[in-house]
Amino acid sequence: MRRPAAADLVRSIKSFIISFPFQTSNAEDDGKKVQEFLTMMETTIKEHPLWAHATYEEIDSAIEGLEKYIMTKLFTHTFASSSEDAKLDLEISEKICLLQHFIKPDHLDVPKVFQNEASWLFAAKELQKINFFKAPRDKLLCIMNCCRIINNLLLDISMTTNHTPAGADDFLPILICVTIKANPPQLHSNLKYVQLYRKHSKLVSEVEYYLTNLISAKTFITNINASSLSMDESDFHRNMQLARLASEITVNEPSGTVQLSEGGPPIVRNKDIYVDGNRYPFMEAEARDLRLEDVQQLLGLYRQVVTKYRMLSEALRQLSVDENQLLHVLNNHQCQDVKEKIKQQLEQAGNSGGTK
Amino acid sequence: MGCSSSFPDRNAGRLASLNSESSTAPESKNLRVKLVLLGDSGVGKSCIVIRFVRGQFDPTSQVTVGASFLSQTLALQDSTTVKFEIWDTAGQERYASLAPLYYRGAAVAVVVYDITSPDTFKKAQYWVKELQKHATPGIIMALVGNKADLHENRAVSSEDALEYADNNGMFFIETSAKTADNINNLFEEIAKRLP
Repeated sequence: MRRPAAADLVRSIKSFIISFPFQTSNAEDDGKKVQEFLTMMETTIKEHPLWAHATYEEIDSAIEGLEKYIMTKLFTHTFASSSEDAKLDLEISEKICLLQHFIKPDHLDVPKVFQNEASWLFAAKELQKINFFKAPRDKLLCIMNCCRIINNLLLDISMTTNHTPAGADDFLPILICVTIKANPPQLHSNLKYVQLYRKHSKLVSEVEYYLTNLISAKTFITNINASSLSMDESDFHRNMQLARLASEITVNEPSGTVQLSEGGPPIVRNKDIYVDGNRYPFMEAEARDLRLEDVQQLLGLYRQVVTKYRMLSEALRQLSVDENQLLHVLNNHQCQDVKEKIKQQLEQAGNSGGTK
Repeated sequence: MGCSSSFPDRNAGRLASLNSESSTAPESKNLRVKLVLLGDSGVGKSCIVIRFVRGQFDPTSQVTVGASFLSQTLALQDSTTVKFEIWDTAGQERYASLAPLYYRGAAVAVVVYDITSPDTFKKAQYWVKELQKHATPGIIMALVGNKADLHENRAVSSEDALEYADNNGMFFIETSAKTADNINNLFEEIAKRLP
């Protein structure tokens, strides 16, 4: 491309990129424009004297390079560009957050033999990488890698256990579980972007099949309700409600350790209390150790604790669980286990509440 | 269930010459055909495909990603080759509403039921109706009664199925993925019906 003979190509690529943002109407039209441009450039390159003796592979990689180049340049105009996209991304990500609290592989017909935490996590990690890349091909590769890991698991298990070779009956439910586990960033926008801007002649057969599977996983998750999980309507709503309360608590927790006031020696304390990585520094402090600057921090912590307590009480009230009884059960456990245990207790309480 | 022996069986009958995808003879025609598989879970959809693909296993062919998407090339008498790209779908009821995403643009739909289970035959009829309403007009449909080796437990008669298929312009065949009976016939018959 640096050679003078390529000047005409460089010119048309540059003019396409520069003119593109000024004629935007909607994503579908933009997609069409990019597709037409890529097809046109493919013909031009094939007929160009510079590529006269090029092999199929060389031309192919030139087109791939071109797609990556223009899409990287046009990324901000083409990716998640409308507020509607942003809204859908947020909705689906929030829904997944809630579903993570209570959906189990059994709800989706995943046979026990395929419930393999390690490979699922590995597959989920691949999906989470999708925003590391701007080019449609690279994003698609993340999806393919995720599917490959799931398929390797299916293949391994089928071979070692003499289980019926796994088809879509097993694949799709696992992909849905992995998608819920991963909560991939901007799922809707990423899928839309790949569909619109990946060169259509490359979006065929196997690649198209696995992309369709992720689209179908997204569709399933968006529409999830009691019947698609074979759950009681009331159980489903209670689970969603609990998940909402639990995530509110998480959101309201301070993200890091509360900063100590600057300057001067730290307050003399015998022991800090840690809950979930948060430090509560005044548990064993004496009144005479406190300085005026500490009041601000103390007040902040007090508010935090009261807010959490209020939410937990509300959650318990909704479940009609007796608070003292719950505390008694919790008494024997270590501090860092508390949250996990409460969650379990709540789930159990929720289940028994349902059968009454 | 339907398929015996471990998978993949790399020593199964080799008819590698059939995989002549890169055939460049000027008069030859190479078709690429999207085929979607529909049917209740457990009727042996994936077993049929694996039989078809494995039965003519080409050890030099690229290993595909998994069993839910497989492709296999069939060479016909007239030097036409047909590359079937086979899309499996999840058959459980909860995923039924997702099927249109898969059969969109398909040239062929193979609807599978289990001859020992009337419920799966009913489900097959549901799929046929869906396809008639929403699939590409002119889609080639095949009705397949699988597990024909279990004839002592047969609960759906061949006559009923044939009649249903005739009434709906479908091609009907009974197969056994276990014994490989009629598996190749199924795909050859489909290939003959391609435009």
